[in-house]
Amino acid sequence: MKTAVFWGCRILTSQYAYEMSVREVMPKLGVELADLPEALCCGDPVKSVNDFAATYLSARVMALAHALDAGQLLVPCNRCHFTISEAKRSIEGDKKVSEKVSGMLAEEKLEYNPNMRLWHVIDFLHGFVGLEKVKKAVKPWKGLRLASHVGCQIIRYSDLGRVDNAENPTKLDELIGAVGAETVDYAEKLDCCGAHLLLSHVDTAFSLAGAKLRSLRELGVDGLVVSCPDCGLMYDFKQKDAAATVGVKLEIPVVYYTQLLGLALGIDQEKLGLHLNQSPVDRLLMKISV
Amino acid sequence: MSLVDLMSMAKPNLKSRAKVFSKLKGRDLVNCFQCIKCTSGCTALKLLELKPHEVEKLANLGFVDELVASDILWTCVTCLKCIQRCPQKASPYHVIMALRNLAVEREVKIPEAFMKAVSQVLETGMAEAYQKIAKGTETFDRESLKLPRIGSPREGFQALFLKALEEK
Ligand code: SF4
Ligand code: SF4
Repeated sequence: MKTAVFWGCRILTSQYAYEMSVREVMPKLGVELADLPEALCCGDPVKSVNDFAATYLSARVMALAHALDAGQLLVPCNRCHFTISEAKRSIEGDKKVSEKVSGMLAEEKLEYNPNMRLWHVIDFLHGFVGLEKVKKAVKPWKGLRLASHVGCQIIRYSDLGRVDNAENPTKLDELIGAVGAETVDYAEKLDCCGAHLLLSHVDTAFSLAGAKLRSLRELGVDGLVVSCPDCGLMYDFKQKDAAATVGVKLEIPVVYYTQLLGLALGIDQEKLGLHLNQSPVDRLLMKISV
Repeated sequence: MSLVDLMSMAKPNLKSRAKVFSKLKGRDLVNCFQCIKCTSGCTALKLLELKPHEVEKLANLGFVDELVASDILWTCVTCLKCIQRCPQKASPYHVIMALRNLAVEREVKIPEAFMKAVSQVLETGMAEAYQKIAKGTETFDRESLKLPRIGSPREGFQALFLKALEEK
């Protein structure tokens, strides 16, 4: 089955490391990804303005994937994954919405396919590629202690059908385990990175990100693993702002899971965009190379 | 006879209430029994004093116009914990989003970044603009990283998106 990929805005405009590492890792695991042909938005920020317009944007993403003849759609961003999932629910559960959306898609000769299967990188690797296959493909390390941050919108809310358990998500930890690293349990594991508040309350957004990083500092982990461009933005790109806001020094390496996996698959650091991370990833890389 | 808020003399607006109710995606505000589970886990409670159970109560009573005019709507982080944990299939998150939509419709002052994102989508197809990433003395962009060029939205997209934005 053909797999299309929808990156969303944040990955394509700044979180290049996530994009590069997904593009590198997937073919090594036997998956070819087909890019959608144009710049698109899932509708997330539009949702606060006009829910129907957001639903339409999500439907258009799915319809363009269908036009590529893809049966499934990989969505590496948590927020996009949620927005598209909710749009799917609105279209399939509300005849009025579905008729309006179909009519608008038809104007571009596009069509909504309810059978389009959505995946996030985490359940795609864990379930579709398969944890065992990942384990077999890598050369695992020893002695790494990492924290995982799975984010909010791929695990909540359960009724919608999400990627992992809402209160005790384990898939990302298991994937981290597959490359030979131990993951720690910590009280703030399910706390939100705060990225959405960059739109309205910037300082609070940084306080939220900083609070979590501060607890991780106390746990003395070798790094934090994320799998969402919003979380990457907050914990990696904005780590200095977060540190300044909560008034502590933070030096926590933050990487995307696909960067970590890429390293374990023997892919060059540069191809995985590890030179783009803004947090001190060198520390983690040094630990890995010894 | 309906309630009157004796502090502000505000009266419930049942029409606005019905509008919010119609946008809850299968969730039911009426069921809320004020257990405060949503508020106790709300990400925006501590720093921004968002109390989702209060939003639920006020909306339920019909004080929608007051909520629509309030800044508190824009403090929600969209972490979805409230909807996940609500034992009654209510959803503060969806109520807040419906109220935000209503605020836009009524041209209440809303945080600029949201409208900026909408116009960015209209212009370029995406809500964000391309950034150059600086690291040490170097800067990187899609081209220098050899990432594929992203095509512009097809002609006709703008008109359709504008049409979608007109739906109430
Ligand atoms: S919305 Fe749900 S969790 Fe919140 S007070 Fe009402 S019933 Fe309780
Ligand atoms: S979605 Fe909003 S209201 Fe609900 S718990 Fe999160 S921040 Fe609070």
